[in-house]
Formats: sequence, structure tokens, C-alpha cells
Amino acid sequence: MTNLIDINPSLIEYAHRYLQRFMTITIDELKMLLSYCEVRQVEKRTILVKEGEVDNYLNMVVKGLIMKYVRVKKSDMILQLATEGHVIHSEISFLTRTPSMVFVETLEPTIMVSLTYDKMEEALDKFPQGERLGRLILTGMYVKKEESRYYRLLKSPRERFLDYLNAHPHMLQRVPQKYLASYLNIKPETFSRMKHLVAKQ
Amino acid sequence: MLICGIEYLRVMNNLLTFLNQFIKVSPEEFAELIAWTEPRQFEKKTILTKPGEVEEYMYFITSGLVRKYFLKKDQEIITHIVKEGGILGSGESFLTGEPSRYFVETLEPTTAFAISRYKLEEMYGSSKKWEKLGRVITTQYFLVQEIRLMDNIRFSTRERFVKFMKENTDLIQRVPQKYLASYLNIKPETFSRLKHLMNPK
Repeated sequence: MTNLIDINPSLIEYAHRYLQRFMTITIDELKMLLSYCEVRQVEKRTILVKEGEVDNYLNMVVKGLIMKYVRVKKSDMILQLATEGHVIHSEISFLTRTPSMVFVETLEPTIMVSLTYDKMEEALDKFPQGERLGRLILTGMYVKKEESRYYRLLKSPRERFLDYLNAHPHMLQRVPQKYLASYLNIKPETFSRMKHLVAKQ
Repeated sequence: MLICGIEYLRVMNNLLTFLNQFIKVSPEEFAELIAWTEPRQFEKKTILTKPGEVEEYMYFITSGLVRKYFLKKDQEIITHIVKEGGILGSGESFLTGEPSRYFVETLEPTTAFAISRYKLEEMYGSSKKWEKLGRVITTQYFLVQEIRLMDNIRFSTRERFVKFMKENTDLIQRVPQKYLASYLNIKPETFSRLKHLMNPK
């Protein structure tokens, strides 16, 4: 097996930072957890999961950018944009082992750490405090989703635009505008019109 | 004791059925689980949690009806309506310890098994089995929310209305129409117009 650390030194750092949000993890424990994972490297515009397929992987981005979208009446609606350190996959499909309703696709050449469903089950069972870590990660995912739903319902398009681009200014360079507009649920024309709001800063 | 006789058996049976979806629970374990909770009873229109307060409880509803909502200016946005057999509370606040953004309010006289944040932590720490139960219930809670979000995106207003009414025939009698409309994110006028779909002649 390839030594995971040699592939990308940021890998350990991202994974550690991600997991430390939930509980204290030593580097040895982290290495043990990473032994359940595999590193995958793909070109940009690689479709990792199609609608109708069962998603077998949970991915953490080490380098690159992955998006998740749903096809509604032939137009794509972007649900998530994941960059370095973020976790992305088709959650419902992965957790329930049912066909995915969404697509997962890379926008840049991407390196990721991936965990299959079976390996996750194994880790939950064998890793000390695996159940606890699993629960805390799920709790984190739940809270994040609830927050983003709350803000979507509460905030105006202009507020959503400003909040997002102030927090993630580099995304304007990395992601085509129409995707960002879709992600923020703002009409593309409106998005273009609002661009001066961040350009001036 | 708040509940007795046949009602007591019904309630216990409800809870056991709920748990058995997730994990096998022996009679002894069931008794142990009950001991972590406290039975609570509320009049209708009781506010259980307000914005700004930390949610101290999650409720397993044994009878009655509870809604969760927040205020957007003066408008109530209802995100959850939960009847007997379901779980509700201001979830993010309960899980993070941050102040709630939501109101939680009974719509009918309601009885519930409530578990406090403190007791739940203690319960998780007491056995790997309960930690696992916590993980699977959290997963379930996450999935319900995620599937609803996907339904909102993938289905038209009309489709959402029909699906909801088919799955919750009883709620049309129990919940004021304007609340159902808000929960389904449908304008009250549209909701009234769609009502004929429920009684095909």
C-alpha cells in the first residue's frame, strides 16, 4: 500500500484539522483511521457519481474542487461546492445504499481521501470511539445543513451573495459564475449585476 | 405518573417500535433507556423553546403535535410539524449548546419522553450500544431533513402538496391550513386552490 503521507503532505493536516473539530485525535489514531481510506486522484470534469448510481464513497478534498448538483428539468442546480478540507458525497445514497438523486463531479484536477461504506462500517466498529466519532461527524453535518437552510430561507439574494463572497472571495476565480449563481439560488443576470459589490472592496 | 393503563402500554409500544427501527433493544435495556428520560406533559399552545434560549431537551412525542418555526420579520416560517411517534426539539441548539433561532410550540395537548442534553451525554458515555443508537438516530434525523430538502428541489408545488397529503391524511384535520402551507412553502392561496386534489369525486 502506498504511504498516504508521501502523496500529499497537506493530507494529514486537513484530515487532522477536520477530525479535531469533533474530538481529540492523536497522530497515531489519525494514521490508523487513514488506513481505512484510499487516496484517489482524478482529472477535472470527472463525474464521481451519476444520478441513479449508488454512491460508495465519502470523500475529503485534499486538493481541488468538487461540486454536487441535482438535475431538475434538464437544468442543473448546484447544491455544494467543496474545496480543500471539505467533505462531499451523495449523502442519502451513501447512507441508505440507494440510487443517488444527485451528481458529484470535479471542477478541477482533484486529490481526495475516500472512505467506502464497508470500510466506514469497519472503522465504526473497530476504531476506539468509532461510534462516538461517527455520531459527532453526523451531528456536525446535520447542524451545518440546518444552518444553511435557515440562511437560505432568511436572507435576501443580495445578502446571500455578499455573505458568501466575503467569506470565500477566491471562489469567483475558481468556479464559473453560473454555478455560483445556481449555488446561491440567485438568477445569473442578478448575479452579474451584483458583482460590483465585491469588486470594489 | 402522567400516563397509565392501556395508554401507557400504547406509548411504550410506540417508543419500542421507534427504537427497533434502529437497534435491537432487550426489555432490560428498554427500561434502562426510559430511566434516562423524563415524561413531560404540556397544554396546547405551550412554547417549549424560544429564540435566544439554549434547547435543553429533545422530545420523543408520545401523543400530540408540535411545530418548530422561526420569524422572518413578522412572518412565521414553519420548518417542522411532528406528531406522535416522532422526535422534535430545536435540534441545532440542543446539539451545539448555542442559543436557539427557533420557537418550539405545541399545537395540541402533548405528552413526550424528554431527554436532557446532560443526561444524553451521560447515556452515550455509559455504553457503546447507546453511543451507536445515538449515531443511527442522528443519521436518521439528518436523512429526513436531507430528503425533504431534495423533495423541495425536485418536485413541483403541486407534487409536494399531493405527496404530503397522501402521507399525512390526519394532519389536514389537526393543523391549521396556514401552518401546513408555510411548512410546505406554498402560498396560502395556492394551498386553498390545491385542496380539491385531496377529494377526487
